[in-house]
Amino acid sequence: MIKITNLEKFYRTEEVETIALNKLSMHVDTGEFVAIMGPSGCGKSTLLNILGMLDDPDEGSYVFNDIEVAHFNERKRADLRKHNIGFVFQSFNLIDELTVFENVELPLIYTGVSAAERVKRVEEVLDKMQIMHRRNHYPQQLSGGQQQRVAIARAVVNKPKLILADEPTGNLDSSNGNDVMELLTDLNEQGTTIIMVTHSEHDARYSHRIIRLLDGQTVMENIMV
Amino acid sequence: MLKNYFKTAWRSFWKHRSTGFINIAGLSVGMAAAVLIFIWVHNEFTFDDDQPDAENVYRITSHLAISKNETWVWESAPYQLGLEAKKTMPEVVAVTRVLPFHWEPMYLSINNEFFKEENAAYIDESWFNVFKTNFVSGNAIAFNQNPFSIILSESKAKKYFANQDAVGKIIRIDSANYQVQAVVKDAPANSSFKFDLFIPIAARQADAQEKKNDMSWGNFSYITFLKFKPGTNIKQATENLKSIIKPHRDKNDNLNITLRNLKAMHFESDLQNSGLVHAEKKVVYIFVILGALLLIIACINYVNLTTARASLRAKEVSIKKIVGAGRGHLFNQFVAESAVISVLALVLTVIIVSAALPSFNSFTNRNFSLTTGSAYLWLIMIGTLLLTIILNSIYPAVLLSSFKPLSAFRGGSVMKIKDTSLRKGLVVLQFTFSIFLIIGVITIYKQLSFVQSQNPGYDRSQIMSFNLSWKLLKGMKDDQKAAVKSTLKQAILQEPFVNGVSLVGMESIQSNGSFSSGSADWEGRPKDFNPSITYFNVDGDYNKLVNINFTSGRWFFPGSVDKRNVIINETAAKQFNLHKPYVGQRFIAQGDTGVVVGVVKDFNFQSMHAKITPVVFKLDQQWSSNYLVKVAPHKQAQAIARMESIWKQNFPDQPFSYQFLDQEFDKIYREDAKASTLMSGFAVVAIIISCLGLFGLAAFTAEQRGKEIGIRKVLGASIAGLVSLLSVEFVVLVLVALVIAAPLAYWLMNLWLQNFAYRISMQWWIFMAAGFVAVLIAFATVGLQTIKAAMANPVKSLRSE
Ligand SMILES: Nc1ncnc2c1ncn2[C@@H]1O[C@H](COP(=O)(O)OP(=O)(O)OP(=O)(O)O)[C@@H](O)[C@H]1O
Ligand SMILES: [Mg+2]
Repeated sequence: MIKITNLEKFYRTEEVETIALNKLSMHVDTGEFVAIMGPSGCGKSTLLNILGMLDDPDEGSYVFNDIEVAHFNERKRADLRKHNIGFVFQSFNLIDELTVFENVELPLIYTGVSAAERVKRVEEVLDKMQIMHRRNHYPQQLSGGQQQRVAIARAVVNKPKLILADEPTGNLDSSNGNDVMELLTDLNEQGTTIIMVTHSEHDARYSHRIIRLLDGQTVMENIMV
Repeated sequence: MLKNYFKTAWRSFWKHRSTGFINIAGLSVGMAAAVLIFIWVHNEFTFDDDQPDAENVYRITSHLAISKNETWVWESAPYQLGLEAKKTMPEVVAVTRVLPFHWEPMYLSINNEFFKEENAAYIDESWFNVFKTNFVSGNAIAFNQNPFSIILSESKAKKYFANQDAVGKIIRIDSANYQVQAVVKDAPANSSFKFDLFIPIAARQADAQEKKNDMSWGNFSYITFLKFKPGTNIKQATENLKSIIKPHRDKNDNLNITLRNLKAMHFESDLQNSGLVHAEKKVVYIFVILGALLLIIACINYVNLTTARASLRAKEVSIKKIVGAGRGHLFNQFVAESAVISVLALVLTVIIVSAALPSFNSFTNRNFSLTTGSAYLWLIMIGTLLLTIILNSIYPAVLLSSFKPLSAFRGGSVMKIKDTSLRKGLVVLQFTFSIFLIIGVITIYKQLSFVQSQNPGYDRSQIMSFNLSWKLLKGMKDDQKAAVKSTLKQAILQEPFVNGVSLVGMESIQSNGSFSSGSADWEGRPKDFNPSITYFNVDGDYNKLVNINFTSGRWFFPGSVDKRNVIINETAAKQFNLHKPYVGQRFIAQGDTGVVVGVVKDFNFQSMHAKITPVVFKLDQQWSSNYLVKVAPHKQAQAIARMESIWKQNFPDQPFSYQFLDQEFDKIYREDAKASTLMSGFAVVAIIISCLGLFGLAAFTAEQRGKEIGIRKVLGASIAGLVSLLSVEFVVLVLVALVIAAPLAYWLMNLWLQNFAYRISMQWWIFMAAGFVAVLIAFATVGLQTIKAAMANPVKSLRSE
């Protein structure tokens, strides 16, 4: 599903140039559950953002579903993204002005799903995330664990092929964190490809494969059994 | 989708409603001002548009070259020209003429009560065939058959006859009875023909002498319209008209005839004078610019407040992008937000406009109404709304929808520096406009009070004037007339509260500047030097009333010793290059050979727009018909009552109508006073809008920097220090605006001052004052916010992180 070759990403500030990704190559197959680990600042988030087409690489190739997307313009990337990729963040990133229901509904609006269909699908996914009873609440009225469940609901409501999660349990206690990991595992078992950045060896064990980064390069891959 | 945009937009408005209300208030004030201006402008540009066949209706224009570089242009032509044109030119479908009664007021006597009618006109029997008129009752047939007929406008019929049917009623004018034959709808605001009362030309020509005058080919009194067959060659038609008039004119006279289309009439600027409604195109364009500017500075508030908040909304925008919103979606959403605000502002605008309409009407002398029927008015509203939405949304929508989704999460600056400086630039623009207007207001005010306080060189206090209309002396021999005039003067002089009476030829001490040239001679005059002179034909009592200052010589002696002598003003002495001493020099004026007996100090006998020109005083009563009466202080009412009863005994068919010179003097500057009112109005609107924007920005800054303020406070900053920290930025912006506005205002206001021959100079303190006012207003606006922020408990703002 994903194949990147010699990917490079630089950040230039006034004087320093940071190499966030240094000739990085890797691939992820459809249906895999991959964890990315590494010390702070090694480029994990940068990689995830590029995989999610939120950012573009400076050099190298990125093939997504057999399409070279490295030099797609913003509109094309956005188009590809909204139909194929869901995001989960450490800090949930829900819109405070919208209710739970409306937050989850958002991706469906942008892909042009009809109103009736939207209600059906949002309710379905809220049910699955066991957050249905909170549908009319606003994010501030929810606990961290509940917020993250809403965020995951939002990520999957469009039935994406790929879910990118950047430290999804980072702001949660271990019990809530485990719930989230169970949810991701379930999704993976139903066929969704998952790439997750994490600092926790415990969480990483839910995945099939761990990719370890150091200074923007792959240093090791562990296959989990 | 659309519903969703508006739902979100409404929520976003409600969440930030304090900013929202600032936006709505500013926008509606700006929109209301713009709508009023656009209503007026639209009206000016659509004059006589609703006349059917307007493109085939032309007015005859007469051009008479009186010297190499001066041509008089009249909107009127000889009565006979229209007559002949109809007879001999097959391309002419109809001819109609109008003679507006605008030289002196018309007095109507209805049930023994006098009314002054300002908008009366004589028309011929074809008028209603050419110009579409809606009859409310009665018709034109009876009007055309009977010379002593009247047609009234609906509003005047109501005024004169209340709820009774006006048709059939009798109105007395100058001792003749007229019958009301019809009532017509009032002329629309965009009509050149703002007449309230029509009388057939036949009534005027019932008088044999009048008719003889009218039939003269040298009498250019009648505004004449020709309606042509469609497709007529106008150039050829003009030639035909010229060949009609040619045989009746002198061989070497410099008369030229042209045709002007009905629709081109409103913006004519070359006429000597006019009885129809005209406007200056330049003025209309200035107003278009002003209206647009007011709208723009109102929109600047929205743009500034929205983009200022952009960083707060960055997270929302980014999330939406990540979950799939395209730029288009976000763009639409922000347009929807601006639309919600603008529509709410429009509601308020309609309220403001309808409240302001009556005073706007009396100010513009038009009658606009906000009825559902006036479709164009709603079109203007909707147009203004769309313009507002566009101005409001383009920049914020582009800016907000172009966020890179990631940068928002970094917490870093979503806004480039460029954007903040743009915002500052816009605030500077607003204040430049406001300061410019403040400088304008001060300048106009100073100039007008300069004009009013100028020592006129004579005394006009307690002097009233009235006119003995030539009509009242009609048919009398010259000595009879003189006897009537002097009897009246003596009678008034006998009254207890009257301190002096003078019978003069000009309107008063003000003169509308009727000049004559080639009528004077003196020693040393070059043969070809014929300066124009204003003659003041006075009697010996004149100077007792007005007390003109002399530089040498004296006033006329009583009796007829000085019958052929003159008194001149300083300008005349200088311009004529008279030998010194001036007094005693031989001077021939209007055929009388005499000497200069006195020289008076220059005084402004016209408005101060005009330069003082040569004046010659002569003792001459033949054409005098204006009485000046000096009344005792505090006894005006009694004096007037006594004079009125004398008048009534002598002239029962005319009301006694008088004015005080002081008021007359003020009237000369009415247009200038109007400009001053208008400028103040614009200034107030601009300042309100700019301050609302500044208030919003200051509130936002205070909120945004809450944490910084908290930390500074914890570290020991004083409240005063914090207030100045937060305010200085805004005050600097206002100062920058002052620097830009000052030269601009200096230039433009000097252009305006050029209209006055006697004017103030733009002094530095005017700019300082305007700057001071602006800074003060800005500081008051910003200060409140910053003081609130500076006084807030630091713990609060720090904890909320
Ligand atoms: N917008 C940016 N501008 C400049 N440098 C950046 C930017 N984003 C990331 N970097 C730099 O790139 C490198 C990789 O950053 P990245 O966020 O990918 O690290 P990370 O592995 O996700 O770290 P963490 O585990 O702390 O989240 C870091 O050195 C970071 O300083
Ligand atoms: Mg990271």
